[in-house]
Amino acid sequence: MAHPTQLGFQDAASPVMEELLHFHDHALMIVFLISTLVLYIIIAMVSTKLTNKYILDSQEIEIVWTILPAVILVLIALPSLRILYLMDEINDPHLTIKAMGHQWYWSYEYTDYEDLGFDSYMVPTQDLAPGQFRLLETDHRMVVPMESPIRILVSAEDVLHSWAVPSLGMKMDAVPGRLNQTAFIASRPGLFYGQCSEICGANHSFMPIVVEAVPLEHFENWSSLMLEDA
Amino acid sequence: MTEEGGKSPGMKVMGIHDIQNTPCARESILHGAGGSLVAGLVHFLATSRVKRSFDVGVAGFMLTTLGSWFYCRYNNAKLRVQQRMIQDGIKNKVIYEGTNLDPTQKKSGDQ
Repeated sequence: MAHPTQLGFQDAASPVMEELLHFHDHALMIVFLISTLVLYIIIAMVSTKLTNKYILDSQEIEIVWTILPAVILVLIALPSLRILYLMDEINDPHLTIKAMGHQWYWSYEYTDYEDLGFDSYMVPTQDLAPGQFRLLETDHRMVVPMESPIRILVSAEDVLHSWAVPSLGMKMDAVPGRLNQTAFIASRPGLFYGQCSEICGANHSFMPIVVEAVPLEHFENWSSLMLEDA
Repeated sequence: MTEEGGKSPGMKVMGIHDIQNTPCARESILHGAGGSLVAGLVHFLATSRVKRSFDVGVAGFMLTTLGSWFYCRYNNAKLRVQQRMIQDGIKNKVIYEGTNLDPTQKKSGDQ
């Protein structure tokens, strides 16, 4: 989850998010260098005593500042497109989960084998146990097996919502009447927090998402318990 | 790199870019600083023009940092792909050991 005063991304919990982090470092380094260059040029322009009111053209610098930005853009675009296509690769998911947005909670359905479904409401601040996170905890988490490709089908029952988990590199709009598909692999066990990312009414900020990645045995035990309780 | 039992605070350029904890960033900046110094100094020694030498130094910093950065990130990306392949290979070996799909069994020939 995010920590106070955090500016950068959260630690990656999926291979796609790792790639996005690496790409972000790459793009930010280029941005940093260009900013340094621009700052230097501004200081040089401000402090120079040289002025020439009669310059008409200069072929050399025109060529440089046309070709160099094009090269830099290509060097940014190539890894970007690679990740874009990586995110859309066809994989063979081991599990499909439906995440449905409501005002103002999420519901999850695991219908591959049995009919398992439950709602996930935010834990109110006054009911938090010590150590739990305000506005992020839910009464039921979406439990998934780690290191398995999972398909998430996202939709909504009423208004627009958006299912987002930053550490997994995922965000998908929940549109009523439409089924959006996304997929991920949780590379490590843990709790991954997210929040609704499309304005949906008064309690838009109070319908968080918690994904709990566990080893397969624990997932099987959890799903058996949930089916017994249902 | 990070220490055991505690994370180094890292040095953030412009408040965002964490140089110490970003792979290749520290090396690139250091190479860039070295390249800038060398380029600016050589130009000054050759021409005795201070301002132009500063310009050459900045250009040297940009080019050396970019070049070092791309080279290091490319090698880093290749390493990560190899690491992922090795991880998958180890996982497959553990899962499929003793079965028909065991990759090491195929190499030893038919039984």
